[in-house]
Amino acid sequence: MNKLALLVALPLITAFLLPVINRASALAGRWSGPLILLITSALGISMWSQLGDNAVAVELGGFRPPLGITLYADQMAILFAVAASLGTLLLWPNGGEDRVRQSTLALILAASGSGLALSGDLFNIYVFYELVAVVSYGLIAAQASSGSYAATIRYLVVSSFGAAMALTGIALVYQATGTLNLAQLAQLAPTQLNNTQGLAAFVLMLIGFGVKAELFPVNTWVPEVYATAPTRISGLLAGVVSKLALLIIVRLLVLVFHQPEALTVMLVLGIMGVVSGELAAWRARDFKRMIAFSSIGQLGIVFIAFAIPGKAGIFAGLAVALHHLVVKPALFLLAERWNGSLSNLAGAAKTSPLAAALFILLALSLIGVPPLPGFWAKLLVLVELSQQAQPLYYLGAFVILAGAALEANYLFRVASRFYHTEKAQTAPAAHRMPELATASLLCAALAGSVFVLSPLAEQIESIAAQAADAAHYIQTVNPETLP
Amino acid sequence: MTPLDHLLLLSALSVVVMLVIGNRQAAGWTATVLYAAQGVALLLMSGLGYGTTAAVESAVSFQVLEQALHWRFDALSWFFALITIGAALLSSWFSAGEWAQTYRLRGGSLRIFHTALALNVFSMLVLLASGDLLSLFIGWELVSWASFLIMALGGAKASRYALRYLSYAFAGAMAVLGGLALVYSLVGSFQFQALKAAAPTMDSASLWLLFTLFGAGFGVKMALLPFHLWQAKAYAETPGPGASFLGAISSRMGLFAIAIVLVQLIGIARLMEMPVPFSFLSARDLLAWIAVFTIIFPTFTALRQHDARRLLAWHGIGQGGYMLLGLLIADDLGSAGGLMHVFNHATYQAMLFMAVVAVIHRTGTSDLNRLGGLVARMPLSFVAMLIGIIGLAGLPPMNGFVSKWLIYRSLILDGSPLLFLGAVIGTLGTILSVYKLIHNTFLGQLRLEHEDIGEAPLSMILPMMILSAVVFITGYFPGLVLDWVAAAQTSIGLPALAHHLGGVATDKGGLDMIWIVSVLLAGFAVGTLVFFSGNRHKRVHQLDNYAGGHFLTAETRYQYSDNFYPGLMHLIGPWYRKSFRWLERGFVSTVDTVSLAMQGLYRPVHPSLYLLAVVVVALSWVISSVAV
Amino acid sequence: MDTGLILYTAAFGLILIGSAGIVLSTHLVRTIFGIALLEAGANLLLLLATYREGNSAPIIVDGRIPAAMADPVPQALVLTAIVIGVGILALALSLALRVQRAYGTLDLREIRQRLEQDIADEAGIELSSSSDAPQAVASRQEGQA
Repeated sequence: MNKLALLVALPLITAFLLPVINRASALAGRWSGPLILLITSALGISMWSQLGDNAVAVELGGFRPPLGITLYADQMAILFAVAASLGTLLLWPNGGEDRVRQSTLALILAASGSGLALSGDLFNIYVFYELVAVVSYGLIAAQASSGSYAATIRYLVVSSFGAAMALTGIALVYQATGTLNLAQLAQLAPTQLNNTQGLAAFVLMLIGFGVKAELFPVNTWVPEVYATAPTRISGLLAGVVSKLALLIIVRLLVLVFHQPEALTVMLVLGIMGVVSGELAAWRARDFKRMIAFSSIGQLGIVFIAFAIPGKAGIFAGLAVALHHLVVKPALFLLAERWNGSLSNLAGAAKTSPLAAALFILLALSLIGVPPLPGFWAKLLVLVELSQQAQPLYYLGAFVILAGAALEANYLFRVASRFYHTEKAQTAPAAHRMPELATASLLCAALAGSVFVLSPLAEQIESIAAQAADAAHYIQTVNPETLP
Repeated sequence: MTPLDHLLLLSALSVVVMLVIGNRQAAGWTATVLYAAQGVALLLMSGLGYGTTAAVESAVSFQVLEQALHWRFDALSWFFALITIGAALLSSWFSAGEWAQTYRLRGGSLRIFHTALALNVFSMLVLLASGDLLSLFIGWELVSWASFLIMALGGAKASRYALRYLSYAFAGAMAVLGGLALVYSLVGSFQFQALKAAAPTMDSASLWLLFTLFGAGFGVKMALLPFHLWQAKAYAETPGPGASFLGAISSRMGLFAIAIVLVQLIGIARLMEMPVPFSFLSARDLLAWIAVFTIIFPTFTALRQHDARRLLAWHGIGQGGYMLLGLLIADDLGSAGGLMHVFNHATYQAMLFMAVVAVIHRTGTSDLNRLGGLVARMPLSFVAMLIGIIGLAGLPPMNGFVSKWLIYRSLILDGSPLLFLGAVIGTLGTILSVYKLIHNTFLGQLRLEHEDIGEAPLSMILPMMILSAVVFITGYFPGLVLDWVAAAQTSIGLPALAHHLGGVATDKGGLDMIWIVSVLLAGFAVGTLVFFSGNRHKRVHQLDNYAGGHFLTAETRYQYSDNFYPGLMHLIGPWYRKSFRWLERGFVSTVDTVSLAMQGLYRPVHPSLYLLAVVVVALSWVISSVAV
Repeated sequence: MDTGLILYTAAFGLILIGSAGIVLSTHLVRTIFGIALLEAGANLLLLLATYREGNSAPIIVDGRIPAAMADPVPQALVLTAIVIGVGILALALSLALRVQRAYGTLDLREIRQRLEQDIADEAGIELSSSSDAPQAVASRQEGQA
């Protein structure tokens, strides 16, 4: 199954060849990026369908761990690798003068996202994480406005601080166990990492990787960056990159860190994320920051869900994360034309009726109105939370419900403003075809999933069960025991 | 495919048809025919209404996330569905014809109006058909959003009130969802039987939490105090027939849900065993007092309104209190009174709204201080409103009297004189304010600008006359409705009322409307005979007036009707402190302030400071917690 | 003195100084230097993970394998981390240059203020601030000039 490495290698090679291709033919330069991503996504989907119940591990170069790097592909990993490629394809940057540079960066983003999802080694994860970070700095700054530069440098500072913290955590893990291979760590964790040092390492890695996953309180970069970056890049960051960072944290929780205190830290930070995000969105006065804050709130819900122990938590968190993966990029695509203040949106339904209708559909799903999938995801989280014994989980459930009530309010305040045709002196411009087409595609997927809800739920449950099975991971990678 | 599936399919079909052809002139008539078809489909299940069939299951059921969802109709659902479809039928009949033309001229979209109405009916039927708690919640959400759609149609002002409704409704829905999650954690299932079996032995704290969550969540739709502020303005601004439909049945969906969850599943007996701490009240008494205050405060708020639609909408809130009160007494008389009041109130509330909309259609205003003397210009509307207000006030010979009698009787028998006093005060306020309504609209001095208006068009008159006939006939023969009510009582586990065609016959008291109304009619007949036989009457033109020895011209205002009840208003005026508005505004501004604080949190000069702080705090917590 | 203790102190000290530099400084370039120090400290900590007194370099000389060999894996990891750090530092400095050209200042407080002003201007909303705030007035005048 060495084709697995192609998921990372293909976009990476194309990225570096792109300037040369572009010099040869501008047409090829424009289309080779999306083409390669299409091929990569198709490859990923075909691998996913062939996977079945057993995961696959690939040792790159034939070197065995801990000296070699393994790629581990279970259904969840390939799902997120495909999401990285497909997401980059759907949200392909199409603005600005330096098209080639942006395309290169986007391809590297797809490659490193896939690598992040597939890697089975902590340091490899760190390297791909930094790759994703650097590429996203470049893409945000591609807006070439003073605001975007300032937002990027502020994001860079906090993200590098976080990465250094994560590196310290990795150092602590290596000091305790002598390996960074996830399977070996899973074997050694119950004896070597079940102590203060292990927990401290987890906290450092959680907060370090949590910068990208919009964890409270290291998510202050979110409103600034999403407001100043190109809207497609904001969609990519909010939708795809944050989920990849979450994936790392979930792998750590499942394989390495089994202490209940780890879950408590995540639960507390998740609760505060929901509270601060939804409340801050209530008074937002421009569209992009409103959905940025809403994104913080939704990811807080995902953290609360992942803080539920066992397979149930992974199932619930995966459901909410996948739902958010579809909804947020669509909202950012609609924000392309609606990026002004909320009061300027009066009468937008006249110029973009389809976009207004799509917004209402997305808002209903985000809030959690049956029969849309957002409701089922939230119901799953609430049902699992209610089964827990600790009172902090009930606080989490209350916070999720209150957050949903707030969300309904501010989202529909905006939605009803679209239809205020009396006040429409200057309605915003109509949406362009590309954004509208992609947003419609995502909404169609959302609406279509209503009809296949049961099989979809079973599929996600099996993905979660496979991901939560640490023994299966160890068995698949089959590392030799350490001396 | 069971009859229930036929009904739901037909209802869904009407939504699609309205979406496609809603903009044509014939849309109103098509809608009426479709609702009539739904009514026929409902009547095919009339075994439910007469207690001969237990329940009609739907063939559709799903399994999602290991939860089984299924739908079924029982007698209670059938009763409410009858009211829903009847209200929709007459409202869409009202909306066909001239009203549709003026609505389109005013810039409204007829397509969205009819679709919204059809969607409301469909979602209500889905709610009424729910067979377990999860499908109840799904139906509840659908109803809330359908109501929002139809409320938001009336323009900018209406959409502001609709948003206010949405805030309340969605918060209530989240409370219900919280209750659902709590039920699941306590009982492990969403099925009705599971909760019913567990309720007697559930611990008090969980039961209180369930009671609060479900009571508040469903009570928001019913506009129970203190969640009632949204309803009056939102219903008043809904376009014409939409207001009559909403006022008739929409808020009673909350009552349906309370009847299922609190009365059928948890049981009033269990609620009576739960004492409120530090008081002598039980949970049921608490809810009963909330119902009584819901009767009194909104009714007296209605007294102060000078917009006819707001006045009626406030009354709608108040009458909901009667229904809940009757249901809470939970004996055969009271619950029958509460359930029958749902039907009765729907009939005259719809009719009154229709009359007011007919007046608006002809005169352009619903402001009671700018109307008057329309009795000669619009006599049939006057008759409709007259019958409506007699019903609303709860006086014989209309049907409102029967349900109110039942509620009063059960309150006295229950030994709650204070609740009875509250209910009677509510009726007093109702009588006063509906008289103001009819007087300021139809009686008194005709205004110059209304001299040439004619009667409302036939499409508006006929539904009103049908409803008047229904109100009178069900007042004459209340047994017709009591059959359905008794079946509904049995289906939710309450004792059924012993009744006959003319009324009630139990050992605790009886009522025979046939006798009462016949005596009344005989008296009227005698009076009419005397009036017409003596030949001493003379027809006078409405504007032919004189006073003080000389003729009055129409321009002179010689009858002022704006400051109605000045003495009463002087007495109770200082009691209107707008406390609930203050509470609402206080809550909203608290959320605003906290929101601004959160926004301030997200603008730090040093984001890294947050990172350092959280690392330090988390590490110290981790080290201390593991060390201990 | 125990070499290990000195090295560990150095590693944590570098982390501490770096963090302090990032958190406490108001100048963008000093913050970037803080990042550099922080990363140096983290790298040193990673190297120290398998430090043992008296280890020799992991090189085979004349076919003889040393008795006590330092663990070569962290050395490879740290090299990678250093390179990543250098790349990010270069990117950070070029971004700082861009910010300087755009805003004319490298003061972090000023940058945040101007960033908020820019976001508000692009969205067309009024930035909410006290009418007595001198900075807001000055920067708006600057912006209009």
